[in-house]
Amino acid sequence: MIKQFANLLTQDEVVNVHEASLEILENVGLLVRNEKARQIFKRHGCQVDSQTAIVKIPRRIVEECRKSFVPRYTFTARDPKYDKVLPDDSPVIVTASSAPNIIDPKTGEERRATSTDIANIAHLINELPGYDVFSISTLAEDAPEGQFSLSRFYPALKNCLKPVRSNTPNMHDLKQVLELGALIAGSEEAYRERPFINHHYCPVVSPLTMDVESTEAVIYLVEQGLPVYGTIVPNAGMTAPMSLLGTLVLGNAEFLALATLIQLIRPGAPLIYAVLSTVADMRSGAYAPGAIETAILQVAHTQMARFYNVPSGGYIGLTNAHVNDAQSGYETGMLTTAALLAGADLFNMGGLLSSLMAFDYAKAVIDNEIALMLKQLKCGIPFSKEEMCIDLIAEVGPGGTYMDKVHTLKNMRKVALFPKVATRETRGRWEEDGRKDAHQRALQEAINILKKENPAVFPPELDSKIRAHFPGLVPGEAVFND
Amino acid sequence: MGVQSIFDAVISLDSDKVVELVKEEIGKGTDVSSILEQGLIAAMDEVGKRFSEGQFFVPEMLLAAQAMKAGIDVLRPYLIRSDSKSKKGTVVIGTVKGDLHDIGKNLVAMMLEGAGFEVHDLGVDVDTDTFVNAAKEKNADIVAMSALLTTTMPTMEEVIKAIKENQLKCKTMVGGAPVTQAFASRIGADGYSEDAPGAVEKARELLGL
Ligand code: B12
Repeated sequence: MIKQFANLLTQDEVVNVHEASLEILENVGLLVRNEKARQIFKRHGCQVDSQTAIVKIPRRIVEECRKSFVPRYTFTARDPKYDKVLPDDSPVIVTASSAPNIIDPKTGEERRATSTDIANIAHLINELPGYDVFSISTLAEDAPEGQFSLSRFYPALKNCLKPVRSNTPNMHDLKQVLELGALIAGSEEAYRERPFINHHYCPVVSPLTMDVESTEAVIYLVEQGLPVYGTIVPNAGMTAPMSLLGTLVLGNAEFLALATLIQLIRPGAPLIYAVLSTVADMRSGAYAPGAIETAILQVAHTQMARFYNVPSGGYIGLTNAHVNDAQSGYETGMLTTAALLAGADLFNMGGLLSSLMAFDYAKAVIDNEIALMLKQLKCGIPFSKEEMCIDLIAEVGPGGTYMDKVHTLKNMRKVALFPKVATRETRGRWEEDGRKDAHQRALQEAINILKKENPAVFPPELDSKIRAHFPGLVPGEAVFND
Repeated sequence: MGVQSIFDAVISLDSDKVVELVKEEIGKGTDVSSILEQGLIAAMDEVGKRFSEGQFFVPEMLLAAQAMKAGIDVLRPYLIRSDSKSKKGTVVIGTVKGDLHDIGKNLVAMMLEGAGFEVHDLGVDVDTDTFVNAAKEKNADIVAMSALLTTTMPTMEEVIKAIKENQLKCKTMVGGAPVTQAFASRIGADGYSEDAPGAVEKARELLGL
């Protein structure tokens, strides 16, 4: 347990950011390109300009909506055993998703990812204990016409019992994916009881714009009472001010706008204050999610989330590295550590290189280890009289050893984390073992898992039912030939 | 002295100063092509050099380009067509239908503008007809398309087909994170680049500049 979260703002400053955000929503407003969203805002008393599509949200309405914010968000899994609740189960570790490419585990070359890759990745994530939610890591280049999202969700759900999360590009795909959910659950009612597809969108395009398609999906899902949340993605220097505070204010205003829309539709609908707030690298304009400023902004947004009493997090722990190298490790490690100490709940962090463009198996395994380290860090120091070991310290006294004590025997398997990738061998043994670096060890670990049978697959009857319902569906089998 | 101070004003990103100095030089009867060549264009070459060396950042590049443009606007009435090296070609650019990603496209547009191209930015979510009509209307030399989604990349091919069907003589350029040279070649695009400086080089190459 972390007893005092790391803060970068004082409480007064937090209130100031909130006030500034209200001012922006009231005076500048948002360009809302989705007609339904404009209607909802209008119906509830916001000022809507039908010519410009600018919506101005009075502070009174935002403050009213804040009253129905709820502090919990649940990720439902196919198997209830894997359900995760924010913030109770924090840190909730999620893979990063929707990369078009994969680093081929055999050739080491980047190529487009396929539905079979998704099946294999789903199998891997199901087995790696650090991950709580599988956000579908890649796209499927082999998707048949009209089955873009189905070719991602089917192999993912078929091979992973943990909650599955991702997005859909349009309403056709969203409804198709929900149909798949109902088939798996047995009926639409059963699915609504336990909606194990966890939807995510980026409906806000910074600065201050709400798009058509993603907003439509959010409205639909909130109306239906199905799980959905959004990530806010301002980019300082490009789509937000070149100021950490300015970007925080803008991003916070955008979060409030989305949260207000959601609460206007269904008061009490669960929210996550999720962000990918970054600073552009102004030397070239490059996107830099692995920069330390991403962590600074995440910490501050997490403080804002605490002020609103909603779970927080986002895409934190991404990297710009193109191979699973030291940069990949230190960017993911440092950014997530900062966010964890600040009390963030949700970490969309695992498995991707090249700022969200490519999946790498070994990276996913190393990120699993980082995830376990974060969870260990979150546990902190259990505090009690007994844990202080005063009697034991007296018993051993100066100069003794603890190695042969019953106390050590009782505690040694639970006090420390045993990493699988990190080496603790002597140099000599490591050399004998082929001088393998972390990447090679991690890749081996991935291959070991993938070569095993996947215990998580659909029962055959269910699988035939699904395949009959969606003719031409991709195979979705996890197959890994060494 | 005079032309050198125009050069300096561009480097110090001061549009107002550039306008003022260009007017002053014209008043003094300085050769307009030397104002253009040794003042404005030489300054942009220097800016480009500093940018590729990492000394200048993107906004400096953009502001210098704006300063240069402001100077050229003052100069334009005095320039004879033949020496108007200032206009390198006309580019129509946009992010394709269904796609809202514009950070990269904006960078490419601004750098092309900085390099002296006349750029018409059609924004995001641009459909085929809009590209084709703008290309006709603006008499474009290049139609440039950006896509960041694999789902929207195929519409680039449609635009290229439509341009060919309409027998427009313009060249086509494509880009965006998931776009590759192989894809560009397959759909018959004339040019591809991985980043904005490369896009400028490609545009120059396509127009033989
Ligand atoms: C920022 C971002 C967003 C922002 C966009 C803000 C904006 N105003 O543009 C927001 C949050 C709105 C967004 C939304 C979405 N995004 Co997005 N986004 C990104 C991200 C992280 C960075 C893009 C970026 O700005 N890069 C910085 C610029 C400078 O680089 P660039 O665009 O590549 O441009 C350079 C070159 O490519 C080249 N170039 C670009 N255009 C051109 C044109 C020509 C002619 C030439 C020659 C060169 C060229 O030069 C540029 C400068 O050097 C990418 C991942 C990535 N690394 O690319 C995902 C990414 C593209 N998005 C993705 C997704 C899934 C989405 C959403 C579907 C999410 C959702 N569910 O709502 C929506 C889709 C919205 C839509 N319909 O378009 C996926 C793509 C999946 C796919 N289907 O292919 C990616 C890969 C991330 C991921 N793994 O999830 N996104």
